[in-house]
Amino acid sequence: MLSLFASSGPVVNVAPGTVFTIAGIPITNSIFYGWIALVIICITLIWVARRVQIKPQGGLIQFIEIGVDFMTGFIKSSFEDESIALKYVPFFVTLFFFILLNNWLEFIPVVWGGIYSHGVPLLRPFTADLNATFAMGLVTMGVVYTASIRESGGFLKYLRHFFVGSPKNPLFLIIGMLEMLTDLTRVISLSLRLFLNITIGAIVIAVFSYLGHFLAPITALPFTLIEVFIDALQAYIFTVLATMYLAIAVNHSADHASDPEFIEEETKPNAKRLATNNV
Amino acid sequence: MTAADAVNTAIIGKGLMIGGGFIGPGIGIGLIGGNYLQAVGRNPEAAKFLGQALIFVAIVELFGLLAFASIFIVK
Repeated sequence: MLSLFASSGPVVNVAPGTVFTIAGIPITNSIFYGWIALVIICITLIWVARRVQIKPQGGLIQFIEIGVDFMTGFIKSSFEDESIALKYVPFFVTLFFFILLNNWLEFIPVVWGGIYSHGVPLLRPFTADLNATFAMGLVTMGVVYTASIRESGGFLKYLRHFFVGSPKNPLFLIIGMLEMLTDLTRVISLSLRLFLNITIGAIVIAVFSYLGHFLAPITALPFTLIEVFIDALQAYIFTVLATMYLAIAVNHSADHASDPEFIEEETKPNAKRLATNNV
Repeated sequence: MTAADAVNTAIIGKGLMIGGGFIGPGIGIGLIGGNYLQAVGRNPEAAKFLGQALIFVAIVELFGLLAFASIFIVK
C-alpha cells in the first residue's frame, strides 16, 4: 500500500485490496465493483434496447442513443467497407459504454474509501486496477488480431502487411520485425493509459481536497470537472484506438507499397470522401 | 557522513522525476493544440478533427502519467 505523502497526507491506494475470498480465491475491491457495474450496464442497456423508438422521448434512452450513434458513425467512417464495420460495431460500442460507466462510477462519494471491510475500501473503480485494464487490453487486442486475421484471409496474409516490400530484402525484413514488436506494446499502452488516467485523476482530486483543508469542495471542484471530461475521453480513446488498430489491418490487407495501383486505390476513396464532405 | 547530515534523496529524485517527466508531454500537447488551432485558422472546416487531435493528446499524455506513476516506485 502506497500513500502519496509520508504520514498526514491523503491516502490513495495504487494497488487494489482483497476484500473477501470465495473458495480460496481472493476477491479484490475493484472486481467486486466491476461486477456491480456489469449488472448495472446489462440491465440498463437491455432496458434501453427494448424501448428504442423512432422518436425518442428523451432522458436516459436519448443519451445512450446519442452515444451509440456517435461511436457507430466513427467506426463506420474509419473502415473503407461499411459491411465490415457493421460486423464489429457491437463489440466496440459495448466496450465504450462499459469503460464509460466504470469510469464515471468513481464519482459516487463512498467509492474510494468510506465503506471499509477489514481496513480495505470495499469499492474501487474497475478501471483503476492495472489487472483489470490489462485484461481488457488483452481481450480487445485478441479480438482485433482475430478479426484482422479473418478479414485479411489467413495468418500469412496478415503477416504480409507488416512488410512494406519483399521480405527477402533484409532492410524490409528488419523493419517488418520491428513493426511486429511495436504491435505487441499495444496491449501495455492501452491498459496503462486507462489505468493511470483514472488512478492519477483520483490522486490529484485527493491531493487538492487535502490542500484545500476546510475549503476542500472549492479546491477540488475544478479537478473533479476535468476528471469527468477525462473519464469520457479515455473511454472514447480506448475504443477509437482499438478501432484504428483493426481498421489499419483491414483497410490495407490487399495492398503492396511497390504496387503502382496501390496508390491509386488508396487515393480514390479519400477523394470520394472529400467530395462528399464538401457537398 | 553522520546521520544528521543524511539527506533523503528520494524526495529530490521524485521532484526531478515529475519536473523532467512533464516537460516532454507539456511541449507535445502544446504543439498538438497549437497546430490544431493553426489548421482551423487556415481551413475552418478542419474544426471537425478535434476528436482526432484529442487522440494524439492522450497518446502524448501517457508519458507524463508514466513519470507521475514512477514516483511511487522511488522510496
